[in-house]
Amino acid sequence: MFLEIKNLTKRYNRIEAIKNISFTAEEKEIICILGPSGCGKTTILQSIGGFIKIDGGEIILDGEHVENLEPEERNIATVFQSYGLFPHKSVLENITYGLKFRGYRKKDALMEGMKMLEVLNLKGYENKKVTELSGGEQQRVALGRALIVKPKLLLLDEPFSNLDTKLRVTMRKELLRIRDHFNITMLFVTHDQEDAFSIADRIIVMNKGKIEQIDTARNIYLNPKTEFVLNFVGSANVDRGYFIRPEAIKLSPEGEEATVVGKTFKGFFIEYTIEYNKNIYKMIRLSSEEEFEIGSKIKIEMGMRKI
Amino acid sequence: MGMRKKTIGMMDSMMMVSKNKRVLDLMYKILKISIILLVLVFVLYPFLSVFEKALYIDGRIDFSEFLFIQDEFNLVRNSILSAILTALLSTLFALALSLMTLFISEKQKNIIMFILLLTMVSPPFIGSLTYIELFGRNGFITKDILNLSINPYGLWGIVSVQTLGFTSLNAVLLIGYLESFDYTVIESAKSLKATTTSILVDIVIPLMKPAIAVCFLLSFIRSMADFSTPIIIGGAFNTLATESYLSIIAKGNPGRASAMSIVLFVPSIVVFVIYSHFLKEQQRASKNLRQTQVRMKKTGLYHLIRLLALFFILWLVIQYLAIFTSSFTDKYRGETYFTLQNIIDSIPYVKDSFLRSIIYSMIAGFFATLIGLILSFYSYIMRDRFMKVVDFISNMPYIVPGTFFGLGYVFAFNDYPLKLTGTAAIVLLNLIFRQLPMSLRTIQNSMTQIEGATLNSAKDLGAHNLYILKDMIFPMSYSGLFLSFTNAFISSMTTIGSIIFLVYPSRKVATFVLFDLVSSGKYKVASVLSCIIIIVCLSVSLISRRIFNRSSKYVS
Repeated sequence: MFLEIKNLTKRYNRIEAIKNISFTAEEKEIICILGPSGCGKTTILQSIGGFIKIDGGEIILDGEHVENLEPEERNIATVFQSYGLFPHKSVLENITYGLKFRGYRKKDALMEGMKMLEVLNLKGYENKKVTELSGGEQQRVALGRALIVKPKLLLLDEPFSNLDTKLRVTMRKELLRIRDHFNITMLFVTHDQEDAFSIADRIIVMNKGKIEQIDTARNIYLNPKTEFVLNFVGSANVDRGYFIRPEAIKLSPEGEEATVVGKTFKGFFIEYTIEYNKNIYKMIRLSSEEEFEIGSKIKIEMGMRKI
Repeated sequence: MGMRKKTIGMMDSMMMVSKNKRVLDLMYKILKISIILLVLVFVLYPFLSVFEKALYIDGRIDFSEFLFIQDEFNLVRNSILSAILTALLSTLFALALSLMTLFISEKQKNIIMFILLLTMVSPPFIGSLTYIELFGRNGFITKDILNLSINPYGLWGIVSVQTLGFTSLNAVLLIGYLESFDYTVIESAKSLKATTTSILVDIVIPLMKPAIAVCFLLSFIRSMADFSTPIIIGGAFNTLATESYLSIIAKGNPGRASAMSIVLFVPSIVVFVIYSHFLKEQQRASKNLRQTQVRMKKTGLYHLIRLLALFFILWLVIQYLAIFTSSFTDKYRGETYFTLQNIIDSIPYVKDSFLRSIIYSMIAGFFATLIGLILSFYSYIMRDRFMKVVDFISNMPYIVPGTFFGLGYVFAFNDYPLKLTGTAAIVLLNLIFRQLPMSLRTIQNSMTQIEGATLNSAKDLGAHNLYILKDMIFPMSYSGLFLSFTNAFISSMTTIGSIIFLVYPSRKVATFVLFDLVSSGKYKVASVLSCIIIIVCLSVSLISRRIFNRSSKYVS
């Protein structure tokens, strides 16, 4: 395994922020830690980056134990949520700063920096102040600054939280492109399900300092292992240990009868509330499909599954 | 807070009589005009009086009083020289202290903050007092330990005493600035393998530039304006501030004193303009939201920082130990022994001045805060253009040296219709308006938390502006008001410059008595008095911090 985390534990004033966290990542994999705020996901990231002292556990990167090393001794780079750019330095100075501590001559460092700017589509920005850049551009500078030192692992803390919806979509694609270009392993933290689903190879769902499930996006959604995962990722109808996603309720002439009791138009889909077996369920149909009026009877097939 | 409820209730019953809008409008105007009049009469008028005294001779404008710049250029040179040295050193030590907080635990940081607080609640010439006791001709360190007989007076005496006194405020400013820092900047640099020295030199110190500049400039003005240190330990080294003071006390030449004060005032105003510019830049700095501590390796530049910081802290601790021990000891044939005699000796001095000092300071704190609140309401909340000008004028006592403001009162209020010289009122008014700028700043700082939407909602529901002041602004800026009162109280307890010409001999205040004692060489009794002033101010400050922390839970 390229990255191995074993039994990671961190306490703040005796309260465990994370407890016995273990997972692995392969080379070039993108792993996403997904969870609500306060679930301990950022704590994991900071522990791996070395910015906080852990109370127990091991962190093994490419066969080397790093848990007792200072951040500057780990071959890991971090892109912070607020980017942590040096506001008094230019774009190029920001990007090449790390090369200063790796024995680069100034001329070589500048050349590397210019190459990086090209990869990031930031050519022509080299002498701008970072404070003059837009959010997306600032993020690319932060990425470039981290990547130029060729780290073994790149950590990203809520990388898209400061960007608007449209820009998010672009930056997700950017990130995948950059991964392919540099062949780098990434671990990122987010509370946004779409971020996780769009770019992660595997997702770690966390709650209250513990891992609930580690799996691909597809499995997390279709085969949630716990009720928390079921409800945190998408919505669901739950009844005595069994669940069904709203879009999984099928219409079928041979099905059982249910009554439409409410509906909301939501753009590309319509959300219905239906009564079936004296229970209320949420059902989703595409808005291009046949529409039902409130009060009408429909025939449905309800394949409930065990959590 | 029961007191807050009671006050609001009282204001309510005052306004109940007049639910009528026209009466309320009239009250609103009367209140506004009173504030304008107060500021014009007690800030602007005395300020202009100094210019009149210096420039207006026998009914004509005349610059002859300013000839000293040519004839006695050494005064100007001495002032600038000592101010530059003091500003450099006190900024350097403050920088070391503030950077040190990046390497130490929260507990150690609190200890440093407490020691810094001590100097900020001490009377200004306490440094001179201990300097003489430790390094003077019969000083404990120079004579008893090193057995030297050197002349400690002069430029370096002034610079070292002022540096010791000014570093604390600078350090508190810089530490506050560092706390508002976005620490991910440091963490980013760390994850790029930057060394401690590089992080400090490339990232931290360049980002601190505006704050460092503010400290340098602030110390520069404070040093220029300080007359008490050079008077006590300057020896033959005269500065503009001492000469201006002596011109009025010893030579009875108010024109000369005014001209010198004006020359002192010019650099102050230049510095103030730059200072406000930097302040704006400082406020733009991003806020640090995470509470985690940065951990930097203790290498390279750290060692120099620690050396400077420890040296300064040690020096400060020795100073306070010296004051404390000298209150309880005396010497007989070269032997130091424990005694309570100094305390007994100090009783008449304490009796004569202390209660008055405390009462004066409380009154000054209360009115500075009240006027500060009402003026801020008009200028900051209602955004009244004209009141913004009044707000600016009220800030002048902050810019001008204390003695300048004191001289202004002497000239402005020694004649009909406002003959106040020799009364308690002139001292009180001077204290109030001298503290007003700090109060305005503290109050308006707490008002930044009040959202416009809250006030608009109140207006929407039909509240008159006066009700907004009472029901919204007053309770919501409570913490600021409290802080303003405490600061003004402590400041008034320890000030000397602005009231030295105003205090009537039979109505002495504590700092005045202390100044007399130090000047006349009664160091033992002076030490006792200093200790009492420090204890009073420190208790007020600590108690208010406790209450403030508790009350801020209610005021979110």
